Amino acid sequence: MKLTRKRLILTCGALTLALLMAVLLSLKLGAVPISIGDFFLSLGRAVLRGDELPSEYRLFVFEIRLPRILLGVLVGAALAVAGAGFQALLRNPLADPYVLGVSSGAALGAILSLAVAGRASVATPLAAFAGALASIAAVYFLGQREGQLDSFTLLLAGIICASFLSAVIMFLMTTLAGQHLRGMAFWLMGDLSAPAPVPLGWLFIVLALAVGAIYTTAADLNLLLSGEQEALHLGVEVGRVKLVVYLASSVLTGLAVSVSGAIGYVGLLVPHAIRMLFGSDYRLLLPATALGGAIVVVLADTLARTVVAPTELPPGAVTAMAGAPFFIYLLRRRLE
Amino acid sequence: MALLVLLATVAGGAQQLGYREVTDEVGRRVPVPATIRRLVSLAPSLTETVFALGADRLLVGVTDYCDYPPEAAAKPRVGGIVNPSIERIAALQPDLVLASLAANRRETVNAVERLGIPVYVTGARSVEGVLDSMRRLAELLGLAERGEALLGELRTTLDAVNQRLAGRAPRRVLFIVWEEPLISVGRDTFLADALRRAGAESVIETGQDWPRLNLEEVLKLQPEFLVFADAQPDAAARVLAGLRQRRGWRYLEAVQQQRVAVISDAVNRPSPRLVEAIEQLARQLHPEAFAPGAPTPRGLR
Repeated sequence: MKLTRKRLILTCGALTLALLMAVLLSLKLGAVPISIGDFFLSLGRAVLRGDELPSEYRLFVFEIRLPRILLGVLVGAALAVAGAGFQALLRNPLADPYVLGVSSGAALGAILSLAVAGRASVATPLAAFAGALASIAAVYFLGQREGQLDSFTLLLAGIICASFLSAVIMFLMTTLAGQHLRGMAFWLMGDLSAPAPVPLGWLFIVLALAVGAIYTTAADLNLLLSGEQEALHLGVEVGRVKLVVYLASSVLTGLAVSVSGAIGYVGLLVPHAIRMLFGSDYRLLLPATALGGAIVVVLADTLARTVVAPTELPPGAVTAMAGAPFFIYLLRRRLE
Repeated sequence: MALLVLLATVAGGAQQLGYREVTDEVGRRVPVPATIRRLVSLAPSLTETVFALGADRLLVGVTDYCDYPPEAAAKPRVGGIVNPSIERIAALQPDLVLASLAANRRETVNAVERLGIPVYVTGARSVEGVLDSMRRLAELLGLAERGEALLGELRTTLDAVNQRLAGRAPRRVLFIVWEEPLISVGRDTFLADALRRAGAESVIETGQDWPRLNLEEVLKLQPEFLVFADAQPDAAARVLAGLRQRRGWRYLEAVQQQRVAVISDAVNRPSPRLVEAIEQLARQLHPEAFAPGAPTPRGLR
């Protein structure tokens, strides 16, 4: 399938529309169902005529659901693009945002701050981000060979760092524990209900910068698909491309994990699903993956907070349970 | 319950060997020596109960988390609650180990039992169950009289609270175990029962023991009070200041009207101090019932 401008616009347009539908569905469903039509009518009146917006909308839409949905969009897009980035960088279809230890670093940071402060606070996600950055730096220096990032050295360094950090987390959780254990465990399973410690706008700027940085390498990543030597001969600055993709994907992972804990499978499944549906040209794959990841996480979180109401499921459990069968379906369909 | 009590009575055959067979609170048959000299406790609540019964000299081992009363910290440690050292338990040569269904793992109980050390497991799911469990422990340790005295005190406190609350509508509360994600307690826990005893009912009705809740549901249900358990009794102001800043939470009527009750974290342990915590909570939820002018229940205090 050759990528034309028309196909790029059509595909991304359709996915944007799907994301919009997912967002509206998520706004509608919940403990107090919201009529979307009435909501927009009231919103229109509030904007045009300066009427007071009913408190029900102010509370459930603006105070609770919308920030949570936007957080889901952010986390989904970040994880999915990071997954696509790591799969390209490591040239390994099993790579996901967590494979290089970024999430373990973030989890360790969060757990340390919980242990020190005694309860969840603004410092928790910030400590998680610091932990992610520290593990990114460590893996980056361990992953070099002759001054260059080497895919296989990087993968091994990442996996070893991840298992080392997981062991430290295990150690802390068995020795500190007490009643914080339950909060920590939920944190490791993912959670979108906690508000982000900094304004969402800033987080979206970081998201846009990191996705944009990976997008500048899209044409080079296409050439890298056929192998590093081949790409070098075709004039690709392989070292620079790898550095950009590694740093941007790591920042995306750190961003997602620090505000939501570890939500699994999105970074692994979404890029592959998009590849199967729309082909593997990175110029289309990257924006489509971002939109796909956002759709998946928004829908998963909507299910997570409605199916067993009044209680909630961890969204990571929903992405895995619903994602795996869908993925197998796509895989079988492609083989036939 | 009556059946359990019946089963727990002495089995004649085993007694001649210096052992009697009792059925513990999860239905396991446990051969217990007629006289217990060396006891290991695998849960802070059990350690507290043993101390309250005045049997602390029997305790030869406790967990790392057994911090009340302070003297408990001086006892030899056997490790954590979830992962105690089986070797250290064995080295202490106890003739009975006490474990709790809620706190300990089945694997730990099995591993200790395989060494030939009897393990008695408690499993209270209500305040009455906690009291009953104390009575059975007292009997097991040959301290039935001391047990009755302790139970009498606790029941007096509970009855006094109960009488003061008589005729008052229960407060609709949310007990908060963890804020982000929001975790509360289910109806089948002794905590939910403790809330009922303190003149409160949880706005959440679920069979899960530690339900993870959606804040939207709580906003819809608008509990009258939020209840927290904290080690510091003066934590209410700090907790409230935090909640007023928090998205969503600040719309809770309980937060806006500063109706936050903070009670001793002893409420998390099914031990004698649970009763104290119940009284504390009742005083905060129904201050008018405990006001100096309020009619004192007849024949009590």
